[in-house]
Amino acid sequence: MFIHNFIYSFKTLFKNKALIFWTFAFPIILGTFFNMAFSNIENSEKLNIIQIAIIDNEEFKNNEILKKSFEELSNESNEERMFNTQYVTEEKAKELLENDEIVGYLKVEDEEPNIIVKESGINETIFKYIVEEINATSQIVEDIAKSEIEKQIMAGNVNLDYEKLYENIIEEVQNQEVNLNNISNSNLSYTMIEFYTLIAMACLYGGIFGMVAINQNLANMSSKGKRVAVAPISKLKLVFSSVFASYLIALIGLALLFIYTIFVLKVDYGNNLPLIILLGITGSLAGLSMGLVVGTVFKTNENTKTGILIAVTMFGCFLSGMMGITMKYIVDKNVPILNKINPANMITDGFYSLYYYDTLDRFYFNLGSLLVFSCIMILVSYISLRRQKYDSI
Amino acid sequence: MKPDAYDIKSKIGVVFQDVAVFEELTVYDNIDYFCGLYIKDKKLRKQYIEDAIELVGLEEFKKFYPKQLSGGLLRRLNIACGIAHKPKLIFLDEPTVAVDPQSRNNILDGIKKLRDNGATIIYTTHYMEEVEIICDRIIILDKGKILATGTSDELKELAKIEEKITVEINELQENYIEDIKKSKNVDEVKYTNSLLLVTYTKGKNNLVELMEYLKENKIKYNKIYSERPTLNDVFLELTGKELRD
Repeated sequence: MFIHNFIYSFKTLFKNKALIFWTFAFPIILGTFFNMAFSNIENSEKLNIIQIAIIDNEEFKNNEILKKSFEELSNESNEERMFNTQYVTEEKAKELLENDEIVGYLKVEDEEPNIIVKESGINETIFKYIVEEINATSQIVEDIAKSEIEKQIMAGNVNLDYEKLYENIIEEVQNQEVNLNNISNSNLSYTMIEFYTLIAMACLYGGIFGMVAINQNLANMSSKGKRVAVAPISKLKLVFSSVFASYLIALIGLALLFIYTIFVLKVDYGNNLPLIILLGITGSLAGLSMGLVVGTVFKTNENTKTGILIAVTMFGCFLSGMMGITMKYIVDKNVPILNKINPANMITDGFYSLYYYDTLDRFYFNLGSLLVFSCIMILVSYISLRRQKYDSI
Repeated sequence: MKPDAYDIKSKIGVVFQDVAVFEELTVYDNIDYFCGLYIKDKKLRKQYIEDAIELVGLEEFKKFYPKQLSGGLLRRLNIACGIAHKPKLIFLDEPTVAVDPQSRNNILDGIKKLRDNGATIIYTTHYMEEVEIICDRIIILDKGKILATGTSDELKELAKIEEKITVEINELQENYIEDIKKSKNVDEVKYTNSLLLVTYTKGKNNLVELMEYLKENKIKYNKIYSERPTLNDVFLELTGKELRD
């Protein structure tokens, strides 16, 4: 009975054109658009070295990370040089900007780097993006340093060698600089985060399959559910086999997206394939579990439920950087809890950490968060499903 | 009956009023899926599916998808999905709503066959002529309450009407109508669109007596015929004639 229902659930879901569009075709189409849009930015970026200025004030001089990063990014001997940087006073920078000799200038004020540009364009966006990236990275390093100091104090090492620690931090910063440099000029630098959110979106869209599978087994949700409800078979067994089929289809969709982005769009997800697959599988589980909750908790029609899932997914992806990485940093900085409970961010951040970090702590944290999220969602749907009784069908 | 009363459920078949089939599956696969929820043995199931397809006359449409079927064929598929596992007790909820006469005949013939094969069928409908054709016992329900039970003849006995006589008369004066109203056993007289309808509560020679009256008064008529009350009359009599929501 389990296999019988599994086979037919698989068939019906797989032949549902609207479902296949949203879960299979839409992410591929969006990925293609991302690729077209961002490869243009990168091509133009490769041809042009961006003219910028930096206000050479004390605050900038004291910000080692920014200083070293821009030195490296403006180094004439660096083949992947991005900027031609002039270190000037604010008056001079304004004059240069007014005469269109630079696209913008950087001024560090109250420990915050500010970008001043005259108009919006690709070069201005790249300049802004790089500064945000450096800023975000420096915050991460700052966190590492803080935790290192705390660790040392907790271990009873009160006579800290702050100079050595500082050197370590600088070294860490330099490593980050290397990363940044590689990121900024590698083929898919700007698109990476977009593709991570795209994968997150595809994972969460898998929830639509779960929702439809649940609906097909609920007497108050579909005519087919009524028929199934009068059949001599355990509802839990039916639901489980349908959900299992929908999970399998979601994974097939995800695999197709990976294959398309890797072999056609040439996206590089890093070298740790087993962990990439593990994150994809777990992300899909989170998406599926979200679909189950929407399917069981909301008492509305299938189209509305699909709308809810699409809206939640898109909003989650937006917060995790789909429409610009800045949003991810803003949320991380101002409302960190939002990204901690956002499954799209857990997936995006998981890929991000896998690609950018040598250690796997952050990756496993995201993986664990996804599993906890999935368990809670499955539990909620189970309780909701067990409580359903019908007066009349 | 509890939700896990599988032994009882396995003997029941339900055909819902709404067509409940998968748009993504063919006629054959739809029947196979729903039958498979009851019958595990593949060989036996295959035979049952073929029997169900033959019963509803969908032999030529096995590989069709539901959207390729007409309303009548879709209703027949809906029935096949509900009865393919050969249940002993079948609930049919208005299975002939909005179907063409051919499909309706096919469906009613199929139901008779199921009955003849030993199944007990509980058939819900508003079409009284269908009830007269296929039902052995009838229950008239109104607003959730049982108003009457019995065979077709027993129910007709319950109605006040014994006979209805219709006469086609081109012109009839009001005084004649009043005269007829005063006749023996007459319950109601209506004259509209050149048709005179006289309803009698009882009596056996009503037709002869009416014909004699028309002859005596030299009233010319084209046609005259008598009818026994239908279940429709009984239904209206018992549930009232006012319009419902």
